[in-house]
Amino acid sequence: MLLFKPLAGIIIVLALIMTQGCAFSRGTLGEDIRSESVDAIKKATTTKAEVLSLLGAPDRLLQVNGRDVFQYYRYDAKVGSLLLILINFSRVSIKSDDLFVIIDREGIVEDVILSKRTDGLKFRFWPFGE
Amino acid sequence: MKLPLSRLCPILLSTVLCVTFVGCNVVRFTLNTPITQNDVAFIVPGQTTLADVITKLGTPDSITDSYTGVVATYRFLDMKYSRVNFGWLLKFWSPVDADLLISRTGLGTDALELLCDSNWVVTHHSFLRRLSGHSFNPYPF
Repeated sequence: MLLFKPLAGIIIVLALIMTQGCAFSRGTLGEDIRSESVDAIKKATTTKAEVLSLLGAPDRLLQVNGRDVFQYYRYDAKVGSLLLILINFSRVSIKSDDLFVIIDREGIVEDVILSKRTDGLKFRFWPFGE
Repeated sequence: MKLPLSRLCPILLSTVLCVTFVGCNVVRFTLNTPITQNDVAFIVPGQTTLADVITKLGTPDSITDSYTGVVATYRFLDMKYSRVNFGWLLKFWSPVDADLLISRTGLGTDALELLCDSNWVVTHHSFLRRLSGHSFNPYPF
């Protein structure tokens, strides 16, 4: 126990000397997909025009399986860096929120698919492991 | 004064490590959380629908049309970059800020592709495996 305390002290002092600084950066692409706007879209009721007025023009317009698919997306990037004197560690983590609105041939919403991956996005600086 | 070998070894090791890691950068870049085989074990071709998959895995990154139905793709990216600047050592002795850099980037792309029929039922699924490797290796030659 007596040996442990000086060793811990040395490690802390060394860590403080070696640490030059930290850096946190963040970048986003696109606007946040508001849940209240998505909740306002009702299957088999809401029209294409109403979707456009609620969410604006889609980021991507697809034609899939005889239907129109409006895709809205938002990207979020978080960068954490640990800057030491001899070595720097950085990690860039990017995740996206995606909303797909599937519209049938009559111009009525058939399905709404939303997932928000960015909610769990954290700042990380350790590049090893998962 | 002559240093015993037991004391010399840690000093030598520290010196070698310091020289090796001088001006090192280790960077990792990840896009989305990778999906494993276990995560897709619930998919039964011909039975599971795209809606079931979305409930468990979230929305795909892209949905595209095909002759037989729809292709949904979940994408991941894993980039590993490491760099060593041996010129950093000269900073202490030289007025010139010289660089001697070696670096290497490993880019791994991975994707889960689901092929669905016209009724949105998954008929096939497979991974595209192009992984970047496990280690950070700055040696480019």
